[in-house]
Amino acid sequence: MTTDRRTLDSALSGSTLTGHDQGAIDYRPVALMPDVRVVKIGGQSILDRGRAALFPVLDELIAARKEGIQVVVLVGGGTRARHIYSIASELEMPVGVMATLGKYIPMQNGRMVQMLLARHGGLYILPDDFEKLPLYLQLGCIPVMSGMPPFGYWEKREAGSRIPPHRTDAGVFLSAEFLGAPRAIFIKDEDGLYTDDPKKDPAAQHIPRITAAELTARDLPDVVVERVVVEYLPRARWCKQLQIVNGLEPGEVLKALRGEDNGTIIDAA
Amino acid sequence: MTKLVEGDGRTHIKSPLMRESLQNRGVLAGTDSDHDLQIFPDVTLVGIGGQSIFDRGRDAILPLVEELAECKKDHKLVLAVGGGTRVRHTMSIALDLGLPVGGVAQLVGAMEELNAILLNALMAKHGSMPMQRDHFWDLPLYLSSGITPIAISIPPYHLWEPPPEEGNLPMHGSDFGLFQMAEVLGFKQVIFVKDERGLYDKDPKKHDDARFIPRISLPELRANPPAENILDEALFDAWANSNHLATVRIVNGLERGALTAALRGEDVGTLITREAP
Repeated sequence: MTTDRRTLDSALSGSTLTGHDQGAIDYRPVALMPDVRVVKIGGQSILDRGRAALFPVLDELIAARKEGIQVVVLVGGGTRARHIYSIASELEMPVGVMATLGKYIPMQNGRMVQMLLARHGGLYILPDDFEKLPLYLQLGCIPVMSGMPPFGYWEKREAGSRIPPHRTDAGVFLSAEFLGAPRAIFIKDEDGLYTDDPKKDPAAQHIPRITAAELTARDLPDVVVERVVVEYLPRARWCKQLQIVNGLEPGEVLKALRGEDNGTIIDAA
Repeated sequence: MTKLVEGDGRTHIKSPLMRESLQNRGVLAGTDSDHDLQIFPDVTLVGIGGQSIFDRGRDAILPLVEELAECKKDHKLVLAVGGGTRVRHTMSIALDLGLPVGGVAQLVGAMEELNAILLNALMAKHGSMPMQRDHFWDLPLYLSSGITPIAISIPPYHLWEPPPEEGNLPMHGSDFGLFQMAEVLGFKQVIFVKDERGLYDKDPKKHDDARFIPRISLPELRANPPAENILDEALFDAWANSNHLATVRIVNGLERGALTAALRGEDVGTLITREAP
């Protein structure tokens, strides 16, 4: 006869650990670092444009930091990511392999941004360094990291696509949500959300403010942020707004970091 | 020869995805096919229950280790183990403290790692090694030298665990993590070793009239899920969108020989098939 399970008594000891079975715990969530601004610099939209686009964006990040605003910078991939996704798709690589390949380009871009920010306190950090953010931010540093979530081989396949659904926009939103920041800011090369890709359709209209539900209901063929982010936004505890601003327009980044509602705001509800 | 393309202010590398929005449904569909490269088609992943096996201590663990030591001679295995009751205790404290879901997800992996160390200490003389997180490219070396790797079960969603669909617990647990590893690497099969014969329509520990289910398909299971499922729902959701894994089997690790029979392809425990019959 085999010994019984030796169980630690806890509110979840008999639980199957699924969403609808979590015992009688009174969950009162804590926001870890609500004053932090989590900002993404787009890969294709900013970094692939080189110095002309990136330097003015960095100047505004530095200016914000000098005003005492705590900034954590995450960086996207861009055209090299599209190139490797394209070749790997032809080779029918599983989505988890695609997501692992997708980690490398934002990492390169993050390192580039760190080098440029070094004299202003730019630090390259890894996902595991999140626990040191309080120190870095108190010292006035600007932590820089890849926007790619660490899912890698564990990235799920999405129906009808071989591209990893969680890419650098998702990493920015999930970082803001973990830190308890109310807004995730995306620096791109458009004024925000449009009714279609404004680079392809000149008649596309700018949308200054919209809710996640309205955006989903519009069922646009293309959107400016990753679809999973729009899906997660209504379920977020803390990060209930996405803001998309045009990094090519002087002053827009600084306005957003100061908390203004420029660009497009997507609300959780 | 790779071509650089300029003219819109951005520098592109010529490729079919050049300039494209990776949110565009048409673009995404162009990357898809109903086949994925199958990287390790002859490997079986054996996932051992934390609560169901390890929390029972030596009487459950030692006979299973002996059986695994025999099985590894004939089959290419990767082993993994869950965290059990300590995971539940961690989560209940963490939720009471109000930690964010990503914080909870970050914490729990340590509890199953304890079980992985125990398993490796017992298996080492038969040839085993803990495998670092995603050191999958070492697998050919391990397997051709008769070393059975012990993998990490919990997926590395960590602080980036997405907001749950309902409740406050992380959605991506060990069952999902193991499924995902087997799926992405194109393993032959996954066998979960638990303390029940397999799947029942309700928890057989609580209900004497629980009905055993020897075989079921994924669509049937998702259409009509048991009241208390022995495996995480996240596993079934991910499986429905996957290309590889044809079967998941659940066997009773307290019953000597059940795992061996399953590895031989015999019909023991519960077989879940991806396709409807």
